[in-house]
Amino acid sequence: MAATKSQGKAFTVFVAGVTVGAAGLAAVSTGLGKVGLVVGLALTAVSLAVFLKIKPEEGDVPKISMSAGLKLLGLVLAISGWLIVIAGLNLSTSVSGRMAATIVGMVVTLAGIIGVLPFAANKNAIWKA
Amino acid sequence: MRFARLASCVCALAVMLPSLGGIVASAQGTPSASAAELKDAAGKAPASTTLAAGDPGGTATGSITDVPVSDAKTGLSLGDVANQVGQNKIGINFTWTLVCGFLVMFMQAGFAMVEAGLCRVKNANHTYMMNFFVYGCGLFAYWIIGFAIQMGGAAGNGNLGGLAPLSGEHTLSLFGHTWGVFGQTGMFLAGHSYDVGVMVIFLFQMVFMDTALTIVTGACAERWKFLTFAVSSIIMGAITYPLFANWAWGGGWLAQLGTNLGLGKGYADFAGSGVVHAVGGVTALAVALIVGPRIGKFNRDGSSNAILGHDMSAVLIGCFILAFGWFGFNPGSTLGASGAGCLRIGSVAVNTMLAGCTGTFGALCFMWVLKGKPDASMAGNGLLAGLVAITAPSGFVSPVSSGIIGLIAGVLVCLSVSFVENRLKVDDPVGAISVHGACGIWGVISVGLFADGTSNYGGSWNGVSGSVTGLFYGDATQLVAQLVGVSTLIGFVFTFSFLLNWVLDIFMGQRVSAETELAGLDLPEMGQLGYPEFVFVPEPVHLSATPHMAVA
Repeated sequence: MAATKSQGKAFTVFVAGVTVGAAGLAAVSTGLGKVGLVVGLALTAVSLAVFLKIKPEEGDVPKISMSAGLKLLGLVLAISGWLIVIAGLNLSTSVSGRMAATIVGMVVTLAGIIGVLPFAANKNAIWKA
Repeated sequence: MRFARLASCVCALAVMLPSLGGIVASAQGTPSASAAELKDAAGKAPASTTLAAGDPGGTATGSITDVPVSDAKTGLSLGDVANQVGQNKIGINFTWTLVCGFLVMFMQAGFAMVEAGLCRVKNANHTYMMNFFVYGCGLFAYWIIGFAIQMGGAAGNGNLGGLAPLSGEHTLSLFGHTWGVFGQTGMFLAGHSYDVGVMVIFLFQMVFMDTALTIVTGACAERWKFLTFAVSSIIMGAITYPLFANWAWGGGWLAQLGTNLGLGKGYADFAGSGVVHAVGGVTALAVALIVGPRIGKFNRDGSSNAILGHDMSAVLIGCFILAFGWFGFNPGSTLGASGAGCLRIGSVAVNTMLAGCTGTFGALCFMWVLKGKPDASMAGNGLLAGLVAITAPSGFVSPVSSGIIGLIAGVLVCLSVSFVENRLKVDDPVGAISVHGACGIWGVISVGLFADGTSNYGGSWNGVSGSVTGLFYGDATQLVAQLVGVSTLIGFVFTFSFLLNWVLDIFMGQRVSAETELAGLDLPEMGQLGYPEFVFVPEPVHLSATPHMAVA
C-alpha cells in the first residue's frame, strides 16, 4: 500500500530505461545506438512488468472499473469526429463546407467525450453502491 | 531582389549609426561612413581616465571603444559596427525571451499554492510534491526527446538568430500536400543543437510544457497515486504535449493549414491557450475520468458535496503569482523585443492584464448574483480563466476585445465547473478542466473571431503573408483553422491521453487505496505531513467512511 521501496526501484528502472532508449534513438544510425535502443526498451519493459507485479500491494482501491466496451465506444467516437474534420477539409474546398464538416466532427467527438465516457465512468460508480 | 536587400541593409545602418556616437555625417539619409570617420569617432570617445573618475550620469559609459574589433591592425570597420548592431538585436531578444521564461518557471510556485490550497490539509504535502516533482519529470522528458519532437524542425526564427540546427521536421504527403508531423533534431540538446539560440528556445518552451503538465495534477489531486503521476507526467512531457505543440508551433500540419489549404494564416495560437492550457485541460479530463471521484464527493442520488480546501490565502496568493508569471507567458511569446513587430509586447502585456481583470469580474459577479457571495475560489479561477483565454489571442486583438474575451471566460468557467461536477460527475478539486480546458478552447476560438489584422510579426504568420484576422474583421477562414485546432485537441489529444493513461491504469493502477485516501495521502505516500503540528478537525460523516465502506 502507498509508496514503497519496490515502487522506487521500479520507477528508477523505468527512468533508466527511457533514458538509455532515448539515447539509443538519438544515435540509432550507429551500432551503439541500436544496442542502446534495445537495452532501453528492455529496461522499460522490465519496469512495466514490475509495476504490474506490485500493483496488488496497493490494496482495495475505491473504484469500480469502467466497461471496456463503453470506453472503446467513447474513444472511437472521439477519434472519429477528428477524422471527419480532417476528411472534410480535403473533401470540400468551400469555407462553408469545411466549417460544416468541422462542426459535425466536433459534435461526434463531444458525444464520445461528454456523452459516452462519463456514462461509462458513472454506470457502476462507487458512490452509487 | 539582392540589390533591394543590400540597399535596405545600408539604409538601416545609416539610421542606426548616428546613435553610436554621431560617427556618420549623414546628408539626407545617404550613408557616408568611412574608416577615417570611425577613427575620428574613436578618438573622441571618453578616455579611460575620464571613466576612471566615475560616470554618475551614464553619459560616458558605452561608446565606440566598446565595439569589438575583428582585426586589430586595420582597427574598427563598418562591418564591425554592423555586426555589433546585429548581435545587439539578438542579445536583446535572447535576454527578453530568457527573462520571460524565468517568469513562466515561477508560475510553478503559483500552481502549487493554488492546488494545495484548494485541497484538504491531510493531502497538502502530496499535492505540493506533485507540483514540485512535475517540474523535474517534465524537464527530464522534454530534454531527452520532447523538445526534439516539438521543435526539431522549427528552424527559421529570425528573432533568435535563425535556429538553423533545428531543421529535421518529418513530413507526410497527404491529399496532395506535404504536412509536418514531428521534429527529429535536438534530443539531449546534443550534436548540432548545442547552439546558443537553441538553448534559449529550449528553456522558454520547456517551462511552457511544464505548465501543461501541472494542470493535470490539480484535477486528480487527493487520490492520484504518486508513482503513476510521475510516469504519466514523463510520458506527457515526452510525447503528448510535444506532438500537439509541433503541429501548432514547430512547423507542423496545423500551422500549415494556411499555406496548404488557404485557411487564414493557419492555426494561430500566440502563447498557448490551446497548446498549453487546453492540452493540459483535456488530458486532465481524461485522467480524472479514469481515476474517478474522491470518496464522499458524490452522494448515492448523484448530488455532490463541497470538499473545501484548507488555505484560501495560499489560493489567492498563488493566483497573483500566476498572473505575474503570465507577463512572461504572453509577451514573451514574441520571442524577442527587437525587430519583426516585437514592439507589440506592450499591447500583449496590457491585453493579458485586462483579460485577467474582466475574468475576475465575470466570475465574481456571476457567483455573487447566483449564490449570494463573492466566492473567493471562483474569483481566483475567474482571473485564471481570463488569463488562459487571452493567451492565444493576446498578440492579435485589441484591448477592448481582450476585455470581452476575459469577461466571457470568467462566466464560462463558472458554468463549466458546474457542468463538469453536476452533469459529467467528474471530480475536479481545483476546477482545472474548466479553467484550462474550457477556457483554453474558448481562447483558441476567440482568435478566429476577434483578431483585428493589425499585428505584423515580420509581415507574415505561419508562412502566410499578412496579419491574423478573425471573422469579425472579415476572414471566416481563420475561424475554420481555429476550429480544426479545437477538434484536434478534443479528438486527438484527449483520445491519445486517455489511451496512454488507461494502459498505465492496467499496469500500475492510477489510484491510491481507500485506506490511504481516507487517512490522507501525506503520510502513506510521502511519509511526512504537510503541516505536522496542525490539529486535524474531524471531517463530516460523508467524507469519513471506513475503507470497507468506500470500496464496497
